[in-house]
Amino acid sequence: MDTLTDLSQGRGTLATLRPGNDTDSSNRIKVHFKDSKGNLIKTVEANEGDDLLSIAHEYDIDLEGACEGSVACSTCHVILTPDYYDRLPEPDDEENDMLDMAFGLTDTSRLGCQVILKRELDGMSATLPSATRNMFVDGTPAPFSFDCS
Amino acid sequence: MPPMKLAIIGGGPSAFYVASRLLSLVKADSTNPPLRIHMFDRLWAPHGLVRYGVAPDHPEVKASVAQDVLMRTIMNCTHKFDTAAADPRLKFFGNVNIGSSSTPSPIPHTLNLSLTSILTNYTHLLFATGCTLPTLHPFLPPSPYCLPALSLVHWYTQHPSAPPPPPLERTTHISLIGNGNVSLDVARMLLTPPSVLEKYDVPRPVLDVLNRSQVRHVSIFGRRGPLEAAFTAKELRELTNLPDAAMVPIREDVLDVKETTRQQGRILQLLRKGSKNMFGMTQKTWSLDFYRSPMGLVLPDEERGMAKLSLAHTKVDQETGRAVPTGETEEVETSLVVTSLGFRSEPSAPFYDSDLEHLRTMPGGRVIDVGDGNKEVKNVYASGWAATGAKGVLAATMMNAYGVADAILSDWLPGYQEVHTAMTPEGAGTDNVNLSQQREVMNPKPDLENVPAEVQDGLKDGVVTQYEDWKKVNEEEIRRGEGCAKERERMGWEEARVFLKRI
Repeated sequence: MDTLTDLSQGRGTLATLRPGNDTDSSNRIKVHFKDSKGNLIKTVEANEGDDLLSIAHEYDIDLEGACEGSVACSTCHVILTPDYYDRLPEPDDEENDMLDMAFGLTDTSRLGCQVILKRELDGMSATLPSATRNMFVDGTPAPFSFDCS
Repeated sequence: MPPMKLAIIGGGPSAFYVASRLLSLVKADSTNPPLRIHMFDRLWAPHGLVRYGVAPDHPEVKASVAQDVLMRTIMNCTHKFDTAAADPRLKFFGNVNIGSSSTPSPIPHTLNLSLTSILTNYTHLLFATGCTLPTLHPFLPPSPYCLPALSLVHWYTQHPSAPPPPPLERTTHISLIGNGNVSLDVARMLLTPPSVLEKYDVPRPVLDVLNRSQVRHVSIFGRRGPLEAAFTAKELRELTNLPDAAMVPIREDVLDVKETTRQQGRILQLLRKGSKNMFGMTQKTWSLDFYRSPMGLVLPDEERGMAKLSLAHTKVDQETGRAVPTGETEEVETSLVVTSLGFRSEPSAPFYDSDLEHLRTMPGGRVIDVGDGNKEVKNVYASGWAATGAKGVLAATMMNAYGVADAILSDWLPGYQEVHTAMTPEGAGTDNVNLSQQREVMNPKPDLENVPAEVQDGLKDGVVTQYEDWKKVNEEEIRRGEGCAKERERMGWEEARVFLKRI
């Protein structure tokens, strides 16, 4: 992956985006992806510096990333557990502005593209929010139409 | 199983997201019946609002990399549209207006194609036609002193409808009516120094007008308060960070409200904090004037005079949540009023519902014929703002489009399992829908490959553009921009047409 392309697309740092190539298991960080009901979708192993959105795509987990990781949408929204959430730095204004629009926002929500793996996150769970509706931005909540704004 | 030959009217984000989703879910191999998608847009360039709706400015320049969130979304989502367009099963035809001969196209140079040509040549139809008309204020009719925000957006994106530039050289005070993101976009475009805008996708003629602007103050009037404002934190933050303008501090009593959502809380925080520049330290200023509702506009006697905007003071009725007048009024002298009150679909559109002001759909975007006993129209769908009304950022449009794509596929392929991340768009629900009968308007057995004759002629004459043409124009616009260290220099239709003929 070209570094300049990664940076221009807002993707993390210089980490490899092909988890699985590194055969040294001492570097591998375990992530459990779960669905909204808490069922395990897949447990994967990735490297420090990888972000959750790229990892999800690498392992064919259906986490959408409409803006391709550039903090311009909320479609890669994931919910963490409080203990792991606290091990991450606070989201900045940019990320918070997008989280405002995320459906099913919780106190431990993050944008997947901004969660960069490090040792301390080994064993973390990332839960995909449930597929229901009624979020709003730039308008009042519509009780019946698919308004997802 | 019959093939699908889908016509999509509209070539903006929802059109491309539906197409992209269909193409990726239906592999082009012998296990699936054939799929063909023909996309038509009355603009000669694809991508709809992504090219012609989004403000091209940037709040901060950190490096040569575009830091502006919106710019990155545009660049990145366009990448997805290009990928869809590269599939040979998708064809794009630009500069084609589909409508009846009695409704003139808003763009003079389009090829006109009747809806009948579509119905007889395709098995399926998707309306991705957006909401292209501005909602006007009943007490503020359009005049040289009162423009809809849409005209300004079309002006600074050089939309083919080619509205004239606003008279900024005789404008010192602007009154924006409306508390949504489009209102803040316009304010920002008018208050950002042209020297900052120069490097980006702001056409030269637009920069020339902005350089002559005499605007000193922009007032943004909203009929309710900060808790009801529709704009979002990102856009408000960009305004407060303007390099050489300051916000009039908001009165304590206006900010003395309690939020119930996180979004409201963050907006209030920004409003309390105020602008980066202290009010009084800058030549240009702006204000958010809450609880003000226009009653009328008195035009000046002479051309260079100021108009007088009369405003009712309002408060929010706690029970209904609506703005109600308090009895007090005021008058504001202003050079130009710009109304930014949302958008609606064109009433002349097929299946238009005048109550909703856009198409009425059932769950999944399936269109309902309100003119024929509320019957579901078989194989006819609507996505994006054409189905939901003008609300929702790009990501919302994408999710809606994916849901519609799933509905299309589950209607077409028996046993299709809807992919779990797609949320079925609810539409207007199924109340009052005649579920026992369907209207059939499409052709079950058209020729799979052929393109309507008028469009074929248009292609020969160089009037109709295809995606490859757009890509060449896109490269040329970027090349022309490079000459002046600019992101791109936009071409209009005549220039593009000449350019395409030459190469």
